[in-house]
Amino acid sequence: MDELKKRTLTIKKTFNVPIQLVWDAWTRPEHILQWWGPKGMNTRIVSHEFRIGGSWVFAMTMPDGNEFITEGVYSEIEEPYKIISTADFKPMTEGVVIQALFEEDGEQTNFTFNVVHPTEEYCKQQEEMGLYNGWGSTFERLGEYLHGKK
Amino acid sequence: MARRDTFQAIADPVRRDILELLADKPMTVNAVAEKFEISRPAISKHLRVLKECGIIEIQSKGRERYCEIRPTQLIPAFLWIEQYKKLWEERIDSFEEYLIELQANKKDK
Repeated sequence: MDELKKRTLTIKKTFNVPIQLVWDAWTRPEHILQWWGPKGMNTRIVSHEFRIGGSWVFAMTMPDGNEFITEGVYSEIEEPYKIISTADFKPMTEGVVIQALFEEDGEQTNFTFNVVHPTEEYCKQQEEMGLYNGWGSTFERLGEYLHGKK
Repeated sequence: MARRDTFQAIADPVRRDILELLADKPMTVNAVAEKFEISRPAISKHLRVLKECGIIEIQSKGRERYCEIRPTQLIPAFLWIEQYKKLWEERIDSFEEYLIELQANKKDK
């Protein structure tokens, strides 16, 4: 496995929905808050500047009152085909790149989603600085919450 | 001796589940075993592998043996990716459900 592939998570799906609707649902704040967080979890769009160089901040409130903040900066927007953004998941990790690619296929839309994680060297640095502490329990809490909902 | 590294540690789904449990808090060997339906010796073996891989420590306190994850041990990026993957898959599923809802509402109008 090459280095980039090893740190990239890819999810591919075909939606039975036309591309424009998929694009709107992915990019408009009134839609984003409907799907970004798991059901029952409140998502707050703190800010959303949908333009190249624009930043976005989404907050999810956990039942225990803790907030998960995800924020990023859009680096590429090519309507309705492509969005690339940086993303920081606080307090777990920073420097992730997310790519959402949409491909029109009649009334359907092929969707490819990539999450490119920072290099292992970067992770190691974070670990050495002690930033790993807590990531496990954070995921665990969120995981428990998600599974409890099912 | 078999390979003992992080890859080996997370190669088994039971060990991944054990790590998820221990990521939350240290647990006794008994408490870990109670979470699984497989036999005690099998759990002990998994814990031993995790220990040999350097990912957990097992310490005796009184009569109990406590298992603790070692966050100072480097957890390679792909273990993160495993964790993230679940979250992203759920998020994309939620996105798809929402799309279907949107589409249905549109057709109603």
